[in-house]
Amino acid sequence: MVYVKTQKTKAYFKRYQVKFKRRRQGKTDYRARIRLINQDKNKYNTPKYRFVVRFTNKDIIAQIISASIAGDLVLAAAYAHELPRYGLEVGLTNYAAAYCTGLLLARRVLKMLEMDEEYEGNVEATGEDFSVEPTESRRPFRALLDVGLVRTTTGNRVFGCLKGALDGGLDIPHSDKRFAGFSKDDKQLDAEVHRKYIFGGHVASYMRMLMEDEPEKYQTHFSEYIKRGIEPDDMEGLYKKVHAAIRADPTMVKSAKEPPKEHKRYNLRKLTYEERKAKLIDRLNALNARAQDDADEDEDDDE
Amino acid sequence: MPAGHGVRSRTRDLFSRPFRKKGYIPLTTYLRTYKIGDYVDVKVNGAVHKGMPHKFYHGRTGRVWNVTKRAIGVEINKQVGNRIIRKRIHVRVEHVLPSRCTEDFRLRKKKNDQLKAEAKARGETISTKRQPEGPKPGFMVEGATLETVTPIPYDVVNDLKGGY
Repeated sequence: MVYVKTQKTKAYFKRYQVKFKRRRQGKTDYRARIRLINQDKNKYNTPKYRFVVRFTNKDIIAQIISASIAGDLVLAAAYAHELPRYGLEVGLTNYAAAYCTGLLLARRVLKMLEMDEEYEGNVEATGEDFSVEPTESRRPFRALLDVGLVRTTTGNRVFGCLKGALDGGLDIPHSDKRFAGFSKDDKQLDAEVHRKYIFGGHVASYMRMLMEDEPEKYQTHFSEYIKRGIEPDDMEGLYKKVHAAIRADPTMVKSAKEPPKEHKRYNLRKLTYEERKAKLIDRLNALNARAQDDADEDEDDDE
Repeated sequence: MPAGHGVRSRTRDLFSRPFRKKGYIPLTTYLRTYKIGDYVDVKVNGAVHKGMPHKFYHGRTGRVWNVTKRAIGVEINKQVGNRIIRKRIHVRVEHVLPSRCTEDFRLRKKKNDQLKAEAKARGETISTKRQPEGPKPGFMVEGATLETVTPIPYDVVNDLKGGY
């Protein structure tokens, strides 16, 4: 092999300080996490909830989480893959689905804490900025939005989820600057545009455009919509029904999973501490027995 | 130029972070709660510049007398001249650890309560006082052979062989 001068010497590795594990995996922003979790010391053990929104390629995860030394505790969670139960089967990661997931989580949490009659939130989704008003009996459920590592641009789906939770009745400090439909020139939120996004209007207009200009692309891109017979004009009605279904029954349904199958083991199982000690004792006993036999033989020979 | 005597003078090594532990501090320091009356150790974290105590208090242990939004009031003894003053300082939570000085006492208290409850159930009284270690018990020495050692008579020839 050609001699290549090593760049990373032993000294480099000796002095290298690894970042936190979740930072190495690129999953947690600790700067933000410290600021979200830090609770005033004179509030002692009062939990500080954060409203966590994460997007995968095919799913949306919304959770209410409080932090503890042993590990974070999830109070409630809502996933986009639960939306088929409420009548929405396609487009599970768009802005409208994010709104539905946030709404589902909010209603679920409020129902869990028995506050859902008090805090209805915004039943009619209008797209305007809505904040919960505290009633006389209890203060609203407060959480802080945790976007993770997402770049917070105007119209991001994270804020769609936030809007869903706000309309569901949670108290989350926010500003309308990043909702879809906020124009930088006016410095005002255009509620009409936001409402369009909440009801999938942007998807519907793209569908209409494709149907006219590129029918083949429409067939491939929106094949699932076509299979279920969803037309661009149906979108608003569909989402309205989903919102109503969510408000009617936000409880979580646990799916029954079968126990995982036993797989054939391809490598040796690691022995436990007791097993290793037992093996050592057996070896020593065998050795002693053999030594005893040899000593007896020698004695016999000598004699 | 003479050496200055500023607040952080002579703290180059005292306040430096340990080897390979620089950067973000783990979050348990922020998640711990402290109540008034707890014992805490003061250990300065050089990465956080706010709410740092003076270097005298580094390594001292005191009791909590006040809890504010981000800091804790700790009462620490300081010897000034011929007396010890109870000094009250406010320190941010990053520079504070829960003290283990009372841990042994608390565990013993719990164990003693348990023993007393059991004894009460059985109907007998026990003493839970700690006893100091006494002298070791006596024992017989087994398998010792006696070897008598006597001095040999002085041999002039051998001893002078070294040189004279």
